[in-house]
Amino acid sequence: MSIAQAQGLNARSGIRPRRALTIGGIVATAALAFMLSGCSSAAESSSDGPVTLEFWTYSLKGGDPAAEAIIDTYEKANPGVTIKLSEVGGTAETSSKLLAADRANETPDVVQVEYRALPSLVVAGVVKDITADVADSKDAVDENVWELTTLNEQVYGVPQDIGPMMFTYRADLFEQYGAKVPTTWAEYAEAAAVIRAADPTAYIASFSATQFEFFAAHAAQAGAEWWTNDGESWTVGIDSEESLATADYWQDLVDRDLVIVEPLLTPEWNAQVNSGKILSWAAASWVPSVIYSVAPDTAGKWESAPLPQWTPGDAAVSFQGGSTFLVPEKSKNAKAAAEFAAWLGASDEGSELLLSLDIYPGGNAGREATLTADPPKLMPQQTDFYAVADQVITDTTIPVTWGPNVNVAQTALGDALNAAALNKESFRDVYKATQATVVEDLETQGYTVSE
Amino acid sequence: MTVTVARTPPLTDRPKPARRRSHRSSLVPWMFAAPAILFFVVFLIIPIGYSIYLSFRGFRVEGGGAFGRRVETWIGFDNYAAALTDPEFVAGLGRVLIYGVIAIPSVLGLALLFALLLDTPRVRARSFSRTAIFIPYAVPGVIASLLWGFLYLPSTSPVNFIARELGAGPLDFFGYPALYFSLANIALWSGVGFNMIIIYTSLRAIPSEIYEAARIDGANELQIAWRIKVPLVSPALVLTGLFSVIGTLQLYSEPATLRPMTTTISSTWVPLMKIYQEAFMNDNLGGAAAASVVLAGGILLFSLVLLRFFQRRTFGENS
Repeated sequence: MSIAQAQGLNARSGIRPRRALTIGGIVATAALAFMLSGCSSAAESSSDGPVTLEFWTYSLKGGDPAAEAIIDTYEKANPGVTIKLSEVGGTAETSSKLLAADRANETPDVVQVEYRALPSLVVAGVVKDITADVADSKDAVDENVWELTTLNEQVYGVPQDIGPMMFTYRADLFEQYGAKVPTTWAEYAEAAAVIRAADPTAYIASFSATQFEFFAAHAAQAGAEWWTNDGESWTVGIDSEESLATADYWQDLVDRDLVIVEPLLTPEWNAQVNSGKILSWAAASWVPSVIYSVAPDTAGKWESAPLPQWTPGDAAVSFQGGSTFLVPEKSKNAKAAAEFAAWLGASDEGSELLLSLDIYPGGNAGREATLTADPPKLMPQQTDFYAVADQVITDTTIPVTWGPNVNVAQTALGDALNAAALNKESFRDVYKATQATVVEDLETQGYTVSE
Repeated sequence: MTVTVARTPPLTDRPKPARRRSHRSSLVPWMFAAPAILFFVVFLIIPIGYSIYLSFRGFRVEGGGAFGRRVETWIGFDNYAAALTDPEFVAGLGRVLIYGVIAIPSVLGLALLFALLLDTPRVRARSFSRTAIFIPYAVPGVIASLLWGFLYLPSTSPVNFIARELGAGPLDFFGYPALYFSLANIALWSGVGFNMIIIYTSLRAIPSEIYEAARIDGANELQIAWRIKVPLVSPALVLTGLFSVIGTLQLYSEPATLRPMTTTISSTWVPLMKIYQEAFMNDNLGGAAAASVVLAGGILLFSLVLLRFFQRRTFGENS
């Protein structure tokens, strides 16, 4: 659910005078500051005295009554433990800050990141192996969810929320334009054409080249594995034939002008969603709360269905998005931190409380609680929303392994795909080029890559 | 010191105090300069040195295995080789160049024009106009970019609304090559005021006798402006030109702020965005440091060459 945000580096640019302080200087000054501050931090013992856990999260926002209530519950049940919430940005920002904090020996105690960021943090040596600490929680989380935080048979996090893949669409306009709600991607293309014919200014969806995780999930649905490892070496499958078939699919829709090339959640996109010119978003169960935040006036007109299938009759999908709680290697209160993470993500009480934050809990208790919960605010009329989502989770049988250089792939694919969509170039070539970039980066860093 | 004093005979002796003063005077300038030197070293020399050190380091896998740990090690010139052969870094420099070719002449041209207009004798509302032109400079770059971004986006742009009402198609401010002009326009809006003030200040410093002499010789305002004012403010033009060139090569906040709004700006659109990407998204501090050193060195070299060239032309007879 990470949304590219304007990066607020305070460098003034353009035709202006300025100090000759390049970003390199900023990097170095920051690193220096970390080094200096690192020296002063003596190792504190994690005895049984009162502990304060610093918790980096973007789901639990300080000042949000629902989040405060969760923290209060835990603090009351565990006297002596204080939780300090801080929001440091989305997954990308959180990851880079965690890396910097680790090098400065000033890490927080619990950190929320999306699953795809986990391997890169693990290979950086930043994440603590908490297999033993959270062993008791394993039974409270479904196998396919628990796997998301297990790398090389070691557990590096407790799942917070998950993203069962769903297709969220404007039910009223689909009906009005006579478009069938697609159950396969072939039907999706047909529905897109029907919508274009009915209203030449409307599109079924926007094609956003930056939704890397969706492309990965779509390729996985088609049978591709973008990263796999046998414990020793990596295999990259971005240019596998299954993966390239999904590239061809999107190329066809873009070439026929059946989808609009437009990044997600820009003022432009928001305006088009509000005015009923963008009719759907194929992603995960967190979509309704995101759409509700930008287009609350359209509530009641949306519905969610399972993601269209690549192979008709095959409902298998992977998760898209969702996040985990990890404990940094250098946390001074690692034991208390792991306990808290296990409680919030996996315990009956914790995972049910997560539902109050409008996220889809990864723990079994939270999942069961959804079945009796009201549907999301975007679709109060769709009473079976959570039943549909639960079925999708049961169908979520494709495990996705992320590699240690997901960010490199994300940038390479996003930029090149945008350029290809604008210049009408081959998407297939973009996937192949991304494969080359990812393999080269892995090899430069010293990993073994097998064909 | 005390030894010198002890040996000093009666006060009437002149040379000795002179020697004493020379002793003290060798120390005093250093004391005055010390705070500046300290800050210079701590906040400039050390960070630059550390950047250069970082540029030779990188993360490499230790121990093997699919989840082998990345450890920081010495990797020699690998980062420099990667930066110099990176097509995106070079393409970014190319884009900056196109932007600069559009932005620099228009900013400086307009700034000079406004300064000359404000300096004509019969101008009205001088201080109001001066302030009005200068105010956009006070708007931070990120805010200015957001503001213009909303004016450019088809759904929110009043310009587009008017164009649609008049029957014209939607205008694409983010397409190629319009994008370069859209970005240059932001620079124009916020940069003209500042450059105008520098040129205007320099204009006010020209003694009025020169104008009187020119008028007696029969020159009109246009001729005075072109033949007298412009040559005399050329040092100010060189200065603003240099600032502009450096500012252009360091272009960052405008494209970075507009990036989420459009598909045409990639995450490595200009060199600084590429460096940011490497440092904070790809966890490649060494690569970012190497690219920074290359960029900073390039800017320094370019500025020196430019300054040399113009110095010879503008201040030729002086030097």
